[in-house]
Amino acid sequence: MKRALWIFILIGALAVTSVSAAPQRGGTLRVGLNADPPNMDPHQSTAAVDRQVFQNLYDKLVDINQNLEIVPMLATSWQITDGGRTYTFKLRQGVVFHDGTPFNADAVKFNFERMLDKSFGSPRFNEVSLVTSVTAVDPYTVRITLEKPYSPFLAVLSDRAGMMVSPAAAQKAGKGLAREPVGTGPYKFVEKRPQERIVLERFDQHWDKNGGFVDRIIYRPFTDENARLANLRAGELDVIDQVAPADIPKLRTDPVLRLLERSGLEWQGMWIMVAGPPFNNKLLRQALNATIDRRTLVNVVFGETAVPANGPFPPALFTYDVPANSRIPERNVDLARQKLRDAGMPNGFSFTLKITPGRVAQQVAQVIQSMAADAGIKVNIEIVEFGAILSQGDAHKFEAILLGWSGRPDPDGNIYGDFITDGGLNFSAYSNPRVDTLLDAARILTTRDQRRRAYGDVMNILNDELPYLFLYWPKQYKVLGPKLQGFVHISDGMMRFRNTWLTP
Amino acid sequence: MSWYLVRRLLLTLPVLFFVSLIVFSLINLIPGDPARVMLGEEASKEALSALRKEMGLDRPMHVRYLLWLSHVARGDFGRSVRDGRAVLDTLLLKLPVTIELAITSLLVAWIIAIPAGVVAAWKQRTALDYAATTAALAGISIPNFWLGIMMIYLLAVNLRLLPPSGYIEPWIDPVRNLKLMVMPSIVLGTALAALVMRLLRSSMLEVLGTDYIRTARAKGLGDAVVLVRHAMKNAMIPVVTVMGLQLSGLLGGAVITETIFAVPGLGRLTVESILTRDYPMVQGVVLFAALAVVLTNLAVDVMYAVLDPRIRLGARTG
Repeated sequence: MKRALWIFILIGALAVTSVSAAPQRGGTLRVGLNADPPNMDPHQSTAAVDRQVFQNLYDKLVDINQNLEIVPMLATSWQITDGGRTYTFKLRQGVVFHDGTPFNADAVKFNFERMLDKSFGSPRFNEVSLVTSVTAVDPYTVRITLEKPYSPFLAVLSDRAGMMVSPAAAQKAGKGLAREPVGTGPYKFVEKRPQERIVLERFDQHWDKNGGFVDRIIYRPFTDENARLANLRAGELDVIDQVAPADIPKLRTDPVLRLLERSGLEWQGMWIMVAGPPFNNKLLRQALNATIDRRTLVNVVFGETAVPANGPFPPALFTYDVPANSRIPERNVDLARQKLRDAGMPNGFSFTLKITPGRVAQQVAQVIQSMAADAGIKVNIEIVEFGAILSQGDAHKFEAILLGWSGRPDPDGNIYGDFITDGGLNFSAYSNPRVDTLLDAARILTTRDQRRRAYGDVMNILNDELPYLFLYWPKQYKVLGPKLQGFVHISDGMMRFRNTWLTP
Repeated sequence: MSWYLVRRLLLTLPVLFFVSLIVFSLINLIPGDPARVMLGEEASKEALSALRKEMGLDRPMHVRYLLWLSHVARGDFGRSVRDGRAVLDTLLLKLPVTIELAITSLLVAWIIAIPAGVVAAWKQRTALDYAATTAALAGISIPNFWLGIMMIYLLAVNLRLLPPSGYIEPWIDPVRNLKLMVMPSIVLGTALAALVMRLLRSSMLEVLGTDYIRTARAKGLGDAVVLVRHAMKNAMIPVVTVMGLQLSGLLGGAVITETIFAVPGLGRLTVESILTRDYPMVQGVVLFAALAVVLTNLAVDVMYAVLDPRIRLGARTG
């Protein structure tokens, strides 16, 4: 009885705190990033960390919510017609860019033309290359026509390709927009000092009057994860991105800091080069796969900060429940030995696993090395610098590479370029006409059920042919200081500060 | 003396030329296509070829080198490929930070090392000597990153005496600027002090055993005068050499310390530029570091003459 009373009081206290937490205006929000964002132009940006700043500097045509559903932003509504080839967007009225330029259908048209301009060389080109025309139907209606149906299109527009830059500023600055960005977001650019800080300030003419609570946002890069956390603990920061797995258990029970955890969009594992020895023999790929105990690997290296994986769709994506994706295979050394015998190599074989520098990659590689050794497979670990690994991956000059993908809110972004024949990310040199057909089909299909079925078929093939060994899905972490309120944690890991505020 | 300076300064030009040649070749030999590194995982083939063209990577290496050299000769170091800023602007932004950290670190080193070195030599084989020598050994052995993190947790997180890390320009907030410099300077300074202290101790011991010191004592001069005016001045020669080397090292940037304390200096700039294959930036930074080494060496040579009148600069021998 006494206990029930206590719980009652506790619930009451919690209710009171949440009631008193009405948004407040003012203050400077200090954010600790894991790297220095180099480029402030979404149409030129290639570094993932740039996107953190963009969330508050730019508005996109559409955004995603916590369930990864598409929600309005600069486009208030849209219609998809012509079998998925035509997208007609109704645009928000009364929106201006930070330089005073009005936002309208012509501005949207300009932005797409900028991304599609080959001489400009935008990294966004691939994402919007299916766009054949952009028409301003009236000042606040824009019609985008695609070469063929492309169901991930809205998801693509919820990221850098959907961020609108000021046409006037872009025409004047050209590539220099990377240093003087002008968007329509709730915060405008003040200054950027490389490896030191980026300062944004509230844009008073922003269309959303129920947002932009804090006056200023200061981003500071901390490449050292210990230093990042120490700064948060010392009260010098209000929120940090990315924490070392070893710090997670302590942060869960921290009396002051708040740890936010969510399933991420990222996948990690091992590329296997299938176009040359030894792994052009499928049996050897299957033998290696059978030696790996994914649950143990995750327990040893990540504890609770990652989940074992068998496909490219982490729990946050709607395709997660595709059986071949979510069912984690058991370790089976006998099966591995059987496969080796079938391949005519009963005594095993050896291969070189290339990894990027860093403690986590090294630990994962060592766990795999010792597991594979049980079946007589010898793994030589070679540490290669990141840039060199990308080049060797492109050139297919490797046997195995430990490298993953940061993930996208639509499943297409997590699988297409990686396994389509000659895909931009297809390090394995994998090619299967059936997989190509299914991946293309999944881009045309519109309902989730249809797409899930197509991806299910792809995963059945991939998990038999194994051009890639999916190993784990890392979780997404943010750590908040005591002052930051109203923060919504979304699986894409992007920190949206439009509706957050600070308690004094 | 002035003729000597002019000659030495002119000699820096061939040195810088060779450094530029080596840097240019080395960075071009690093495996990995810079355009690929720059555009990252999602690069399209069109964007890659556009960037390669923009960076001039489609031209042979010697052509690129000569082109770059001719620009540098005109004071144009090019633009960073990573963020599009002029290389010189970024260098000038980082330079004051690095110079400030170098000076404060050297000050810390002097404040610790000079008294400790003198006392250790003066009171040789006493508890004081052993304490100083042990402390010096610890200073050399403790890794910077460990000391840095420990200091942040002790002084910034637990005791809240100092801000944990970062940088603010002295003209914006001088007090905070100094507070921010305390921990990185101590981390760098203690490591340097250890070396200087040991060097000063042995060089003092050597000098204290010479005839002129005995003469000075015989004249009835006090300990302090003998130590500071007579012994220390001569004992400083090897110390100045080492400090010169340390200073030029510091001017190249202190990567680990800068990373832990989020000090936006040249060290982090260099490493980040190498990792992202930002060719123009790497070449600019290394060329600058080479210039710093050359100029510091010159300054050290001038210091010799000041400390020991027997050394005359530019005097022809034989």
